[in-house]
Amino acid sequence: MELTFDRGTLVLEGDAPGVDLGDWPGVVWDPRVDAFRAPAWRYSEVLARLDQSGGALLDRVPAWKDWRVYGWRKVVLRPYQAAALYAWQAARRRGVVSLPTGSGKTWVALAAMASAAVPTLCVVPTRVLMHQWRSALERVYDGPVGLWGDGQRRLYPVTVTTFESAYRHMAQWGQRFGLVVVDEAHHFGQSTRDLMLEMSAATTRLGLTATPPAPGPQAERLDELVGPTVFQARLADLKGQYLADFDRFTLVLELSPKERAAYELEYGTFRAFFLPHRHQDPTGTWVDFLRVAARSDDGRRALAAWRASRRLLAFHQTKAAALRWLLTEHRERRVLIFTPDNDTAYRVAAEHLVMPITCDIGRAERARCLELFREGRLRALVSSRVLNEGVDVPEADVGIIVGGGGGAREYLQRLGRILRPAPGKHAVLCELITRATPESQRARRRELTLGPDLPTPAHHLAGGAR
Amino acid sequence: MIPWSLLDYADRAGELVPCFLGEADTIWLRALLDAYERFVGRRRRDLDEYLQAPLPVASPSRSLRRARHVLDMVWDNEAVGGVAPRALREAVFTAAASGVRRDLAFARVARRLGLRPSVVEGSLFADLPSERRLAPRPARLNPWELALRVNLAMAQALLRRSRRVRLDVEGHARALVAQAKWGGLMCVVKPGRTQAHLTLELSGPMALFRRALVYGRALAGLVPQLLWCDRFRLRADCEVDGEARCFVLRSGDPIFPAAEPRRFDSKVEARFYDDFRRAAPDWDLIREPEALAVGSTLVFPDFALQHRRHRWRRWLLEIVGFWTPQYLERKRAQLAQVGRRDLILCVDASRHCAEEETVARGHIVDYRRRVDPAKVLRIIERPGPIR
Repeated sequence: MELTFDRGTLVLEGDAPGVDLGDWPGVVWDPRVDAFRAPAWRYSEVLARLDQSGGALLDRVPAWKDWRVYGWRKVVLRPYQAAALYAWQAARRRGVVSLPTGSGKTWVALAAMASAAVPTLCVVPTRVLMHQWRSALERVYDGPVGLWGDGQRRLYPVTVTTFESAYRHMAQWGQRFGLVVVDEAHHFGQSTRDLMLEMSAATTRLGLTATPPAPGPQAERLDELVGPTVFQARLADLKGQYLADFDRFTLVLELSPKERAAYELEYGTFRAFFLPHRHQDPTGTWVDFLRVAARSDDGRRALAAWRASRRLLAFHQTKAAALRWLLTEHRERRVLIFTPDNDTAYRVAAEHLVMPITCDIGRAERARCLELFREGRLRALVSSRVLNEGVDVPEADVGIIVGGGGGAREYLQRLGRILRPAPGKHAVLCELITRATPESQRARRRELTLGPDLPTPAHHLAGGAR
Repeated sequence: MIPWSLLDYADRAGELVPCFLGEADTIWLRALLDAYERFVGRRRRDLDEYLQAPLPVASPSRSLRRARHVLDMVWDNEAVGGVAPRALREAVFTAAASGVRRDLAFARVARRLGLRPSVVEGSLFADLPSERRLAPRPARLNPWELALRVNLAMAQALLRRSRRVRLDVEGHARALVAQAKWGGLMCVVKPGRTQAHLTLELSGPMALFRRALVYGRALAGLVPQLLWCDRFRLRADCEVDGEARCFVLRSGDPIFPAAEPRRFDSKVEARFYDDFRRAAPDWDLIREPEALAVGSTLVFPDFALQHRRHRWRRWLLEIVGFWTPQYLERKRAQLAQVGRRDLILCVDASRHCAEEETVARGHIVDYRRRVDPAKVLRIIERPGPIR
């Protein structure tokens, strides 16, 4: 029996005595090449089964065994990080480690890579994070660190790449890395990019996340592709000692009478079309609705009205006034402002003269701004998504959510951004929501799901039109 | 590529027929191009606002959105020159962070740079996509070309969703196979009805297990190439809302073609083509003749030499760059296996890549920089039994 890797799949040629390969899960007869074929992620399983059957095997898959990894320096871990590493090793080096944002997930990964000492591919969601991982790796790894993405094309036994690049190239890389480290692993399990993990033959895998998916189809798929959640620490466990102490509160704002009238008009137009549709198709998704709406004039008008109402809610006079007050109040501290979209980020930037960090701002300028922020020459940054995941801004200690923090996951990520510990640090997260709108409903729903993750409840403060 | 949600097609008993743009659509496409033309040098945001209102001529709304989507990809933007927005941003935002009022921050930066405060405020985000200015109209972009480009984008959007593609082609097969393989696809080749006709079955290795969108890009990339085949028919199996559908594209469908492929792989080939035609008026030189199926693989010779009067006198010729004797022998044996001994190999004498000096069997012509047609003629004009 000969086992080879072919562009993200395993090809099984020859006979295994007394075994019907077609009965194995995931193994399919491929008439194109007259051989059995299986997706590469099943490599460990196929190997174990072949081992049981006892036939001779020529295994050409693990090309990573011929690739030399340089030495690693010692990675010093905090107790909970060491526990996470141990749990991962005990689970035969397959699994997801869940730690709150800001508690040093990357260090767990570095220690895991050092302990595994096999060629490793680190996949991260964004280009900014890719460069951040590279510099972290260079501190503890003696060899050259490969980088693939953002104009770089260097493949080495230890390589960092983005989800997008890995997705496109895993067919070629699948047999070169024995360990795959997936940052922000909650992105996988139900997306088209899962294919990337399916095309890898890596026998060991480590996922990192602050928000593992709830039990369900996504969690099961993630379990297959990366491994089960082997370790989980919550914010409440680390707050005060390993993460900064914090308070969070919600400012419930009222629209000005003029804006309220405009909002009711737009939202009313939308509801007049949406509610009958919902009545007809109660189980339909939002995408289904968009499809129906795009086919008629009324529907298109309803969608335009919906967009207008969203735009109005994202940033209105009262929010602007509250934001001005908060910025003055915290003018000596470092503030991160989160908005629902780039458009709002630019509106905030232009009105309050706060530097925006968005996808339109180039890498060099972003890096420069983060540096100025660190030095204190910029005191606030505004962003919609870019700052949500992983970007390191340890100095930030005040977060202001202008909008868009609707989901529990996004809320926790944004909270995590201001929790890097420092002596005497006490962080504050403030959310601005508009009374009697979908915004306040979403915030209420989120608080219900967040319950066990957060030690302190949000204080609700009513604000009015100023 | 246009998003799936913008795609319109009819479902005719399982076959998806995209609503391609045609001659009749060029009227409103011209109006759309005129609108863009009018906003050259102005902000893209202003154009977007202007196009919120309907065009002066009737235009189907979804087709219009598709056309705009494609047009936005083709029509360039440029950032306004003059003040560098990036430097302005740093100056203004750091000034504001030091605690001065908004208007004072602008005034301070303006004074330092010798500009008016309103200019500073206006140029703060001049390099962002929505603030960029429309560049002049791309060369040769007319309503009909735009229609073809929209149709191409629609066909590609359908192919992106497909799992398996079957291609019946005449001509240009070599480039198609090469591109498919380069894109990571598997290519099963079957001989077609005639010599010139080939059937290619293309799919990704993972397509056996699941719908893998990653191959969609490679499959979609083939579409503009197809237009260079003498004749083609493409049938793609795709999945829409969990149900199997197919999509067929044929020669003659109104699609924007890829740039003309290079006629020759190398200068040596191009020169030989000219030299030989001049030196041998009795012979036809056919570029990229039909492929030969050898076992499960295909061999694409560079040229076929065909005598004008004695049609049975036909030779295949291949120009080889880097080579080893083993390579030449393998090539010869491959063809001998299917009963062809009429292969002439032209080998570059300066690119002999093996240590030993063994000479391969068969018809070999060596050359330096230029293949001498006389040497080739000496082989093919040799009297006596040929094969």
